Amino acid sequence: MREHDVELFNRAQAQDEHALELLYDRYEKLLFSFSFRMTKNKFLAEEVVQDVFTKIWSRQRNFDESKGKFSSWLLTVTRNATIDMLRKKKETPYELDERDALHDLGPSTEEQIEWKERSEQVREAVGQLTGDQQEIIELFYFKGMSQSKIAESCEIPLGTVKGRVRLALKHLRNKLSQVNERGGQDDV
Amino acid sequence: MMSNTCDLLLDYFNNQLTKEQEEEFELHLLECEECQEELAELQQLTEDLPYSSEAIDPPSGMKQRVLSNVINGTNTPETEPEPEKQEQEKVTSINEWNEPSRSKKKSWYKPLIAAVLTLSLIGNGAALIYLSNDEETSPTTKPEETEPSLDTIQKMLSLSPSEGVNAEATAMMIEQNNKTNLVIQASDLPELEGEETYQVWVLEDGKPYRAGTFVSNANGNGAVSYLMNYQGKHQFDTIAITKEPNANSQKPKGDILLSSPI
Repeated sequence: MREHDVELFNRAQAQDEHALELLYDRYEKLLFSFSFRMTKNKFLAEEVVQDVFTKIWSRQRNFDESKGKFSSWLLTVTRNATIDMLRKKKETPYELDERDALHDLGPSTEEQIEWKERSEQVREAVGQLTGDQQEIIELFYFKGMSQSKIAESCEIPLGTVKGRVRLALKHLRNKLSQVNERGGQDDV
Repeated sequence: MMSNTCDLLLDYFNNQLTKEQEEEFELHLLECEECQEELAELQQLTEDLPYSSEAIDPPSGMKQRVLSNVINGTNTPETEPEPEKQEQEKVTSINEWNEPSRSKKKSWYKPLIAAVLTLSLIGNGAALIYLSNDEETSPTTKPEETEPSLDTIQKMLSLSPSEGVNAEATAMMIEQNNKTNLVIQASDLPELEGEETYQVWVLEDGKPYRAGTFVSNANGNGAVSYLMNYQGKHQFDTIAITKEPNANSQKPKGDILLSSPI
């Protein structure tokens, strides 16, 4: 029987190596790909994944079930670790050659199947946003920039950054629910 | 109405605050309902975004490396990470070569020195090199503005290609904080396939020691900076580059492509 994420997480925190490995297998590719999406750098992405699992293993991060899904929490921890890593490196990391980086999404775990479905929907929804909205989401969410950096990059007043970020994200949410609805009806 | 503290919300979400600011904001969060709601909203609105990432295959051996590092107690993060230990064993790749067409011989080592310096300033021995294009070079990384006196070049060598090989490579040993950094730059490298990597070795009486792993970019260029940190005293006599089936070879498996006596 498939154990719940939270059960594996708790066992991993109780120093159960097997549980840690199961949890690792379940999320390695998603966390690695997400961190790579942010850093464009395989070595940093690997460091981030190691950092995340170290935090789990050494009980530096605790998951509170009342605050949402384990996977969302794990992705937040990964994103924060990635932003930390980017800040430590200071430099903008180089881009890897596309041919080295991109591979087919070969779904094998339940998480990866969910990922594949969501991935297409989210990308379609993002594609429907204006260029400015896409840019601000990129800078805010994937580059993890500070408000002042975003203001500088987009050449907009500091005071307007928050409003624009929220607006772009809300547009994304609307587009996404349209995509979802259509997907549900067409049932492709 | 927004107080100044409310304005920190985005930067809090993006992990951009100092420790003090973060604590201040967390205290504020306890009593500001507006911020609580906005934070929850941000979390909810961004929840789907990670899934838009393209799936990338993790590098070979990553699981083993990560799990053994996690379990075998490199368990003191949050404090200063242990430099050099595991980070030097990394494959380096570059994308854009710095102005390869003109005055290559003269200019190539500048960005490398800058890279080595940057690494030492970060206090982190990761063997990663960031080569920036001239236009993009920010003031902090301009080679001219770094301290040239920090490092001394001990040796510069040109590696000779083996028969039938067309590649070129240069090795430089830079002394840095009483340690030696080996910087390799290579061009016209044959293309790699699959998990293959280029491996640098230093040899002492025929015994090889790993000295940096890298991959070439689409133009056949590659570079790596490696901190030579071996147990005991060594008198290396040869430096060589081989093509290996993957990044894990402890002994050379491929033929020597380039080499030079030290």
